[in-house]
Amino acid sequence: MIQVNNVTKRFGDFVALDDLNMHVEKGAIYGLVGPNGAGKSTIIRHICGVYKQDAGEVLIDGQPVYENQAIKGKYAVIPDDIFFFTQANTLDMMKFYKDMYPKFDEALFKKILNCFPAINPKKMVRTLSKGMQKQVAFMLSIAARPELMILDEPVDGLDPVMRRQIWSLIMSDVAENGLTVLVSSHNLRELEDVCDHVGIMNNGKILIERSLDELQTSITKIQIAFDGDMPKLPDEIQVLKKITNGRVHTLIVKGEPRAAEQAISQMNPLLMDVLPLTLEEIFIYELGGENYAVKDIIF
Amino acid sequence: MQSKTSFFNMALFKKNISRTWIVGLLYFVLLLLMLPVYFIINTANHGEDDWYTQMGYTMEMRLYEHISLMPTALLGIIVAIIVTGITFWYLFNRRDNYMMHAFPVSRKSMYFTGILSSLTVSLVPVLLASVIMTIAAVAEGAGGVSCIWYWALIVAVSTLLFTAIAIFSLMTTGQLVTGVIFYFIFNFLYLMMEVAFRMTASLLLYGLGGAMNGINYKIWTPVLYIPVHAKIESNIIYDDMYSKVIEFGHEFIGGPLLAGYAVFAVVLIIVCYQLYRFKKLETVLDFIAVPFIKPIFSVGMSFFISMVGGAFIAGMVEALTPLTYDGRFAIAIVSSLILGVIIYFATQMLIEKTLRVFCFKKAVHCGIYTLAALGILVCMRLDVIGVENRVPKLEDIQWAGIQVDYTMVFTDEMDIEAFRQLHQNFLADKKELRNINYNYPDVDGKTFTIRYKLKNGDILIRDYPVINTEASVVSSEYVAATQPILDFINNPGRIKEHIIGNIWNNCEITSMNFGGIIPYEAGDYTMEYNSFDELTTGEKKEKFKRVYNEFLKDVDAGNVFRQDFSGYDYMYEEKQKKTFYNSFDFTVYNKDINYFSDTDTFWDYSNGRDMTAMHEQTIYAELNTDCTNTLEALKNEGFYENEDVIMTNYEFSKKYENYEY
Repeated sequence: MIQVNNVTKRFGDFVALDDLNMHVEKGAIYGLVGPNGAGKSTIIRHICGVYKQDAGEVLIDGQPVYENQAIKGKYAVIPDDIFFFTQANTLDMMKFYKDMYPKFDEALFKKILNCFPAINPKKMVRTLSKGMQKQVAFMLSIAARPELMILDEPVDGLDPVMRRQIWSLIMSDVAENGLTVLVSSHNLRELEDVCDHVGIMNNGKILIERSLDELQTSITKIQIAFDGDMPKLPDEIQVLKKITNGRVHTLIVKGEPRAAEQAISQMNPLLMDVLPLTLEEIFIYELGGENYAVKDIIF
Repeated sequence: MQSKTSFFNMALFKKNISRTWIVGLLYFVLLLLMLPVYFIINTANHGEDDWYTQMGYTMEMRLYEHISLMPTALLGIIVAIIVTGITFWYLFNRRDNYMMHAFPVSRKSMYFTGILSSLTVSLVPVLLASVIMTIAAVAEGAGGVSCIWYWALIVAVSTLLFTAIAIFSLMTTGQLVTGVIFYFIFNFLYLMMEVAFRMTASLLLYGLGGAMNGINYKIWTPVLYIPVHAKIESNIIYDDMYSKVIEFGHEFIGGPLLAGYAVFAVVLIIVCYQLYRFKKLETVLDFIAVPFIKPIFSVGMSFFISMVGGAFIAGMVEALTPLTYDGRFAIAIVSSLILGVIIYFATQMLIEKTLRVFCFKKAVHCGIYTLAALGILVCMRLDVIGVENRVPKLEDIQWAGIQVDYTMVFTDEMDIEAFRQLHQNFLADKKELRNINYNYPDVDGKTFTIRYKLKNGDILIRDYPVINTEASVVSSEYVAATQPILDFINNPGRIKEHIIGNIWNNCEITSMNFGGIIPYEAGDYTMEYNSFDELTTGEKKEKFKRVYNEFLKDVDAGNVFRQDFSGYDYMYEEKQKKTFYNSFDFTVYNKDINYFSDTDTFWDYSNGRDMTAMHEQTIYAELNTDCTNTLEALKNEGFYENEDVIMTNYEFSKKYENYEY
């Protein structure tokens, strides 16, 4: 669905995107994660057709996005800072979206609106709370019946119940209509629940781009204890991090977890537990190799 | 394959209108008040007592007069920036900008829909107000109403033009406030550049002290040019007594000009579209959003501000101590270069939004700019383009004039050529002339003015400071350089032709007054005039003519209307002892020949229009003790009887003002 090939973008002397490659499959829910200043919003603005890349190409369904009205009609965007016209109420915005998006479904919009009884559709949107404005943005975007939804920090500012409600709306659209979702967020635990693919960005590049399952099985946390000192580990086990607490050693191991488990079990440990890593931990360990400053904070 | 996109998007159009309609409504109300409401109020009282009715004005004349007074370009320049600014508001806010460009609509649609909605809000009120004005005018009984629609056309074209300029301004920056500032800068850019050059010239160049006068608005400043060159001109001619309208005519001028402006506006709109097409949206909130404008802005600001600033600094130094021409220029050049460097880096800080602009690359750019500025200032000093030495070609001159104590204007080709030669010779000796403040700081002097009215409408003005040629310390070279001017203007024939006037030898003297000073009370006096009431008009005229003929003899003898370059204080007491306090004036009249007023022409009192025909003029002359012919004639003809009523300024001051010399 989305292909970003060798995209470079400079702001003056600063390289915001550096020969970046990124691919989102149709029907995927792709989580884009990265530290502040990694270039997430910049690449999202390229995918939205707002920025024009200095080099490379940004394609949706094989077509360039920039100034492509037909392609733009296929996706809906919810930016981190939401836009509504001054003086416009929810119904005015609905009319505007209806005129803008060829597949806009007014009935669906009204149906969703009923799910959010706190929102007065005749009240100016800009006077609503930030959370309510987000809800209106979601209602409008979902009712636009897009093939792709691009979300930049989408549920930031929403309460947990509302977050769940919003994600459930999106997930049902994914299930029913094959919606593709590109979502950028700092809330990795939330992404872990909804994403099936993840791209980790830093310094204007995608460091890792895999399915979440694949990612979660590529790094493993193994806790082991030996009678006496820990023997030397076989060379094929790539240890990203080792923490020793008394006789218990915690290893963060990169690579196939079963192979590591078998190799370590042959060393006759007193205790061995293989634990999956959360997305947040993977994020931190992966970025640790990129001199990410917070790598030791959690230990 | 990219899909085709249209120029227009109805959803955006409706959204734009929903944000700007209130401006259109207020504009419409204003136009209603200015056009029909004001017209109806003005014409409400058109009974027999009404001045217009008594003068014979028809309703059509009043309508034309009313419409000719209505503003045109001024309305356009204000409305255009307000409406366009609101319409393209989204370009100056990150959130709005990003989201608007993420919607499924092309920049082409957004741009042209924005233009169309701006013009709709700006022009519909003009159209509606014109329709209502037409109805009101017809209802009031005005026959022809075409002037209303010509006015609407001027306003419409002005609005189109200013909308195009507004969009250009908004496209060049990422800040709305800067866009509005740029809008006014672009509208007045040519005028500001001209003023900067003129201001510098007036402070530095020889003879250009009056360069700030005579600015003729050019086509590049449309808000000032349109009202003068595209308008409804109504010509109402009255009878000799100014008691009745005898003829009415009107003319719509400036049609081709409006067409030219409209074409320019369309071209500019297309250029702006190209700017928008290639606009990088990350430039939101940038001071300048178009890369090629950055160096133009930086260099332009640095050059013009530093040039004027340097000239001002030189002027201030000269106010403290006399400077030579070269000394003044040296100070101006050094000051300009220092100021230029400061402003260059200041503009870089504005553009790049950081104080950290000092780097090798910028230093090189600044060095190149400084060298270029130095080159231009040196060229100015060397008068490479011949501003100081400029004397227009004979075939380009409509008239040439000079003002010292009196004003003379020459329209005859031979006179103009003689005057040109005189001016050229004067400038050939300018090395002797331009350092007089430094060489003769204690010699009193004055400034004389030369004006050329050119056939293309421009006015060339030169002001030359001069000092008294009779002062003992002045060099013979200086006298040789300036005396020909005095000889030229003190020629009796020219005095009669230009100070008395073109009818000097073919006129009746319809009035003549000589004031005799009569003691009134202690320390007070009254001026007494003999009005010769016992005489018939013909007898009076004969009497006046006899005195006038004697007065001409004094003119021929060089006793009156003589001019010199001495200042007010030079030999003040001697002058006071020679000139009379008594007033003397007479009126020359010829019913068949128009009187040509040199003074009115020189100062352009008619403001470019044809002069109102005059057949008479009153001449005031300061008599002096050399005017023996005139004094004798005045006495013989009974204007005064004894010598006691005649006093020099010195005697008068002694007697009535207790002036101590």
